[in-house]
Amino acid sequence: MSTVIDDELWSAVGDPIRRRMLDLLLADGRGTATTLSEQLPVTRQAVAKHLGVLDRAGLVHGTASGRERIYAVDEAQFARAVAQLASVGAAWDARLRRIRTIAEAIQRTRDARPPTDPS
Amino acid sequence: MEYGSIEREIHVEASPEVVYEVVSTPEHLAAWWPDEVEMEPVPGATGMLAFGDSASPDRHVEPLTVVEADPPRRFSFRWVYDEGVTAAPGNSLLITFDLVPTDAGTLLRMTESGFREKGWEAAVLEAQYRDHASAWDYYLARLAPYVAKLVSAP
Repeated sequence: MSTVIDDELWSAVGDPIRRRMLDLLLADGRGTATTLSEQLPVTRQAVAKHLGVLDRAGLVHGTASGRERIYAVDEAQFARAVAQLASVGAAWDARLRRIRTIAEAIQRTRDARPPTDPS
Repeated sequence: MEYGSIEREIHVEASPEVVYEVVSTPEHLAAWWPDEVEMEPVPGATGMLAFGDSASPDRHVEPLTVVEADPPRRFSFRWVYDEGVTAAPGNSLLITFDLVPTDAGTLLRMTESGFREKGWEAAVLEAQYRDHASAWDYYLARLAPYVAKLVSAP
């Protein structure tokens, strides 16, 4: 897995319109620039451009059909994008466990401290 | 499908005051996350998180800006943005710690948001450094140049 490819992958899913397009393609199984633009607040040309970005990132694959290309989501590449975020989540789980360990140790030290003698 | 944020929570058997200290003071932050922290826990204050030894060429420094500091309830800051710009929604990631008192201690909630715009950078950073304080990656990174030196020695 090369950094360049991953960089493309991540910026591809970083755009809200492209994410919406992935949602639609996942829901419908497939779509074209025309069918997608009908469901989105952007032009067919803009959708075609976004499809190009998703295609280069390997997130969708297009098949020629007459004058249009029919696009579908590449499940494996899509799963990788999702896994990237999952790894960020796992990192936070580890950090929160360390926070807990540190905070509980501090608390135990403070609780163990004998109360100050007022005499 | 939501890529926008990551939410995690954990229960800590310590008072919110103690937990607040651990998530907001540089000394404690460096114990559970980066190698070095420069930060004043005051809204608007800027600072940095450094990953990797200061002598290492792999050292990575990320700027941060404190957004909210409301002890012992909430601490939040922005990070992962370009040097020289003002951290704002859309150009950075926002980390928020919410502390909820419970009978036995504190429920600590962490939210990291802004992934729509900054997801890749964050993922790379995390992947590179996520286990640095506890696991092999950290030591292997240091070990590899050392081993290379040994191997290349006549």
